[in-house]
Amino acid sequence: MTTSEFISSMKSRGAKIIPAVSGNHTIIANTNLQKMRAAMLPAFLSDLYEHCGGITLGSAYIFGPKEIERGIKYPIPAIDKINQDVAGNKNLFGKTVFGRNDLFWFATDALGNCFMLDNLTLSVLRKYDNPYNAMTDCLIVGKI
Amino acid sequence: MQLNQESAKDRLAALGMDDMPVMEYRPQRCTVDKDWFKKYAIARRDFLASLTDSYEEIAFMNLTQEEVMNLIMGKSIPENTSIRLKIPLIWGGDLSVDNMFMCSTFPHSNNLDRFIFEQSDASIIFLPNPSKKIYVTTHLAGGGAGGNAASDRLTAAAMNYVSSRGNE
Repeated sequence: MTTSEFISSMKSRGAKIIPAVSGNHTIIANTNLQKMRAAMLPAFLSDLYEHCGGITLGSAYIFGPKEIERGIKYPIPAIDKINQDVAGNKNLFGKTVFGRNDLFWFATDALGNCFMLDNLTLSVLRKYDNPYNAMTDCLIVGKI
Repeated sequence: MQLNQESAKDRLAALGMDDMPVMEYRPQRCTVDKDWFKKYAIARRDFLASLTDSYEEIAFMNLTQEEVMNLIMGKSIPENTSIRLKIPLIWGGDLSVDNMFMCSTFPHSNNLDRFIFEQSDASIIFLPNPSKKIYVTTHLAGGGAGGNAASDRLTAAAMNYVSSRGNE
């Protein structure tokens, strides 16, 4: 699966694709993630950010490199802000949280291995070799 | 981090939810049924259908008419809205309407997740326990000093709703 195919598949399920933002935001987010001992953005996320600035489906989110403004409503935080909020959790060393839904959080390491984490202790429930499967699982729960 | 009642309240206040009640809970790992996800989906639909008695809280959610109808008919939940379990499933919580509540995903549900992560190594956990089915923080309805003649929050919200649609 390619990033374009993944986005197209999510669109067909009703996901909202946030327009891509300048590459500078991705560079800044990556630098901030390195400072907090999270994983650098793996290739699949950098590629995703070239296509879009984040994805939402119901109550499920793939965070973008820049905060998503929503008028008077509370914005969706950027990936570095989300990780800053949970920095220091021992279960997250070397990992970067990239998505969440009502049941689970999703993280990746620098190599692109993805993990489903429980939303109580952030311990690993499942490991994914294919990041698109992880992102699909993350978003699809938003459409129950 | 082991919290007590007071520090739990303080932490929630720092996360912008000083009006969120908490309950003390000693988590015990439980086995989860294999068909939990199917039951979870059913429980969510039951929860949405039960929201017809929560019209005051729904009024504070600043939803469009379509979103309100979809919500109470159980078709879909509005954007940035999460349904949470008061006692998590793996800690012995039920998949029932009584064990669920709704709140905004950002900032509240996200911050409640953080509140629980921070206690992950504690033997007694303080869990959010709102008294109503929908948690809407009281901070949302604050009118500024002067200029707002409404006598209560519901009236103020209704006036904002009407004015935003040009129906004054």
